[in-house]
Amino acid sequence: MTATDLIQTGASLVAVLFIAWLVGRMGLGADPRIADAAHAIRLAEEAEAGFGGTEVARDRAGFAAIVRNAEGRMMLVRAHGNHFAARPVDAATVGRLDKDFLTLTMPEKSFGAVTLQLGKDAGMWASRMRELRHG
Amino acid sequence: MDKLPDPVTYAIPAFILLLIAEMVVALRRDRSRYEARDTLTSLLLGTGSQVASALVGGMVVAMAVWLHQYRLFDIGIDFQTWWWAWILCFFLDDLAYYVFHRSAHRVRWFWASHVIHHSSQHYNLSTALRQTWTGFISLGFLFRLPLFLIGFPPAMVFFCAGLNLIYQFWIHTEAIGRMPKWFEAVMNTPSHHRVHHGVNPRYLDANYAGVFIIWDRMFGSFVAERDDEPVRYGIVKQLGSFNILWAAVHEWVGIAKDVWHAPWRHKLSYMWREPGWSHDGSRATSAMIKERWAAGRPVEEPAE
Repeated sequence: MTATDLIQTGASLVAVLFIAWLVGRMGLGADPRIADAAHAIRLAEEAEAGFGGTEVARDRAGFAAIVRNAEGRMMLVRAHGNHFAARPVDAATVGRLDKDFLTLTMPEKSFGAVTLQLGKDAGMWASRMRELRHG
Repeated sequence: MDKLPDPVTYAIPAFILLLIAEMVVALRRDRSRYEARDTLTSLLLGTGSQVASALVGGMVVAMAVWLHQYRLFDIGIDFQTWWWAWILCFFLDDLAYYVFHRSAHRVRWFWASHVIHHSSQHYNLSTALRQTWTGFISLGFLFRLPLFLIGFPPAMVFFCAGLNLIYQFWIHTEAIGRMPKWFEAVMNTPSHHRVHHGVNPRYLDANYAGVFIIWDRMFGSFVAERDDEPVRYGIVKQLGSFNILWAAVHEWVGIAKDVWHAPWRHKLSYMWREPGWSHDGSRATSAMIKERWAAGRPVEEPAE
C-alpha cells in the first residue's frame, strides 16, 4: 500500500465513524416487535416459502417467536436491527427452561442465543425441543 | 501504460453528501430506512474493500497490461480522436459487468464474495458501499479481460469501470420512486435495482444490470417492481449479525464446511453450482423457492 492509500483509508474511517454517529444522533432506526401470532407466521413464511406455520409461541415483549408447522418443524424468528431474522429449530439447537423463560442457543454462533418469555407455555415448548433432540 | 485518475476517488465527497441528504429524507419519511449498526457495518465493509483493492489492484493491472500485448486492434486513449472507442468501451464494459454479475448470483464461488453486497436487510446509499473484500479470490476480474484482448487500453477500461461503479451508487435508494418511462426503459434505476436486492420469491435472481437495464430485457432476466409487493431486502438466509468479519467471509466458511463434509463426487459441485444447491436436496436454490412460491399463489395480473 502506498502513502496515498493509507491517507485515503484513514480519511474513509473518519467519515465512516462520523456517518454512523450521525445516524444514531438523528434518531434513525426502529424498534421492531412481533405484533401477534399471525405476524410471526408471516415472518416464518418470508424466511422459508411454504413453511406454513400453524402454532406460535411469542415472547411477551414481541422480540422473538417460535413458529411450528403441521409437520412439527419449528422456526425461531427474532428481531435483528430494524428487521427480523429466522433460523430453523432442530436437534442441534439447545433449549434451556427457567420457569417462564425458554432460552434457545442456536448452533450458528453468530446468530447467538435468544431468550423468550413464554409464561406457562414455556414448559410445553421446552418439551417439544427435547423431542427434537431425542427423536 | 497510460495513466488516468480514478474517478471513484473524486466521487467520494459527493457520496458522503448524498448519504447525509438521504438520511435527512429518512428522518422525515421513514426512520426505519437507516440503522446505526447496519450503516457502520456497510461502511466498514466498504473501507475494507478499498484496502483489499489497494493490496491486489496492482496484480490486476499487471495482468491487464500483459494481456493487452496480444490485442486484436490498436485503440488509442485520446478522447478527441477515439471518442467512439470510449463510448464503445463503456458499453462493452457494462455488458461484461452484466455477465459477471449474473454469474455472481448463479455460481456459488463468485457468490461467496458478492454476497457481502446483499447481506444488509436495508436498502440505502450505505448499502451501495457494502463491497466485497474477496473479489480477487473469487476471480471476478476475469470477466473484464476480453476487453483488453480486443484492444481497449487498460487505463480506458479501468476508467470506464470506475464510472460504472459511480453510476451504481445513486440507484441504492428508496428515496426515489420511479424515473420517467423512457429512462426506466433503458437505464438501471432505483426501482429496477430494488428488485435485484429483493428476497421475495418473485424478485429473486433478476435485474443484474450495472448501468443499462437493456441487458436484462435482452437476456430474459428483467423483473419489474410491483407497487402491490414491497421489496424485502437481504439474502434468503438473513445474516442475523452485524459482525463485519462474518459478513465478509461467511459464505466462504460455508463452502469450506460443505466441501469438507460432502461425498467426493459432490465436492466440486458445492463450489460451482448455484447458491442453495445440495447433493441431497436438503436445501433450496432460488429456482426451488420460486417454484414453491408459485405453487401456492393465485393467478395474477402482470406488473407492466
